[in-house]
Amino acid sequence: MTWKVLRFILLVLAAVVVIFPVVWVISTSIKTDVDIFAVPPMLVPPHPTGSRYTELWTYGLLSYLANSVIVVICTAVVTIVIGTLAAFSLARFRLPGKWTARVSFWILSTRMFPPIVTVIPLFQLMRFLGLINTRLGLVIAYTAFNIPFVVWMMRGFFVEIPRDLEEVAMVDGCSRMRAFRSISLPLVVPGLAATAIFTIILSWQEFLFALILTQTSASSTLPILVSSQLTQYKILWGQMGAAGTITMIPVLIFAFSVQRYLVRGMSFGAIKG
Amino acid sequence: MTPRQKLNLPDSTLKYLLLAPTIILLLVLTIYPLVFAVAASLETVDVRTGARAFVGLGNFTQIVKDQLFWNALKNTAIYTCAGVIVEFILGLALALILTEKFLARNIFRTIFLTPMMLPPIVAAIIFKIIYIQQYGVANWLLGLVGIKGMLWEAGPKTALFSLILVDVWEWTPFMFLILLAGLQAIPTDPYEAAKVDGATWFQEFRHITFPLLTPAVLIAVLLRLMDTLRIFDQVFVMTGGGPANATETLSLYVYQTGFRFFNVGYATAMSFILLILTTVISNIFISRLRAEEVFTQ
Repeated sequence: MTWKVLRFILLVLAAVVVIFPVVWVISTSIKTDVDIFAVPPMLVPPHPTGSRYTELWTYGLLSYLANSVIVVICTAVVTIVIGTLAAFSLARFRLPGKWTARVSFWILSTRMFPPIVTVIPLFQLMRFLGLINTRLGLVIAYTAFNIPFVVWMMRGFFVEIPRDLEEVAMVDGCSRMRAFRSISLPLVVPGLAATAIFTIILSWQEFLFALILTQTSASSTLPILVSSQLTQYKILWGQMGAAGTITMIPVLIFAFSVQRYLVRGMSFGAIKG
Repeated sequence: MTPRQKLNLPDSTLKYLLLAPTIILLLVLTIYPLVFAVAASLETVDVRTGARAFVGLGNFTQIVKDQLFWNALKNTAIYTCAGVIVEFILGLALALILTEKFLARNIFRTIFLTPMMLPPIVAAIIFKIIYIQQYGVANWLLGLVGIKGMLWEAGPKTALFSLILVDVWEWTPFMFLILLAGLQAIPTDPYEAAKVDGATWFQEFRHITFPLLTPAVLIAVLLRLMDTLRIFDQVFVMTGGGPANATETLSLYVYQTGFRFFNVGYATAMSFILLILTTVISNIFISRLRAEEVFTQ
């Protein structure tokens, strides 16, 4: 009994520690400057204001938001199409010798590269191609770093579908690709959707590539808007909180929608959860 | 019949065709840059004139003598070790508590996962706000229990600790999530057998739980190591590597060398050291994982 009570108190405390900072940033985003520095700090602002958000609006919020949405959607579509095909191949067919495993692990290993290693040459490549400060440049970069994830996730989902299902269809005269389209693909739709949402989340919050490959409000994404509220001379606390809130909310909604697949997604499909 | 339906490639061709886009894309976007970077790391670029000169391994011998590099390596090592160890212990404790069924368990589970889902950049600014020096909520809370407020990320002595604290807050949930999944995948039979033999809680943990949890532990620790070794976003936003380089990590130092001081060759050479470090560590884990038959079909 005492353990149960103690455990409950402990968990409630932990929950407060976990949730408080998230609530605090939302609260800060609707505070006036005076209230941000009020002693004692106030969780519910006495003079709530939406002016941080309107200030961000004049600062080009819409442009950053649009860039984020466009980049993220394009990245998800491209990576899902390319990655799913590769995943299907790795799950269904055997390459000669040990090449199936080798190729799979090589794909995985590119994801282990620290981004700072690839970003310098990638910057030069993009500059050469004239893709600096373009959304296309970001989509290309994000595609590269999301593909290993998609391949590993989707491969796991395909492996779980018995291959007999396809083979029965093929006996009936379907081509392999037809069997893929009308039998395997519909069966992995939930997993496909979850994987797409994970790529959306990962690209939405990406910072380093965006920082280096884009410098204009016409091409930069929301995380850059957040960090640009910290200037060399002054930190715009309220605006920073507002930009953070806007960046955070869609991710939270998306993330909770894939909670069922969270373990799988966060472990690259290694743990089924 | 449309031409599309007639297309009926044999599996032996199809398997390569389906893989090709992914392989080509990864070759062009990760391997080609790497080869390019090898060349760049052997050069030095004059910042004023832009002239390039071949220096061979000159950049690497310079790195060995570079105090700031060693400082960045040390900070990265401290950040990585401290962060991952604390996250592991807290995450395991939470996971062990939440494997038992009880009231509101799933609600707690969902709440605990929130920080991990935040964009790292947002976690960073949240704590920047919490750490505000004279009027921030962190110092106010310390004041309530009679502790004098501190400078947090702005103080040379507390800066690195303050950053690690953010990491622990954000990523303990990740350890918790993976370890909980690992715990729940353990069958109940061994525990029943242990009960019959009169094993203590600790013996059960030592001889049943821990060995069977190994794959989950390896995955969780590997992925956290990879993330902390490359840590950039939070440091960039919260401290920019300061004060007095107290929080300068390898990624940040590479970034500053390459994109503030435009010493591309030197930056690339340093980034290779980070790459080698990461590759060695990840290979140790991946070969262990393959031995445990995780990551196989």
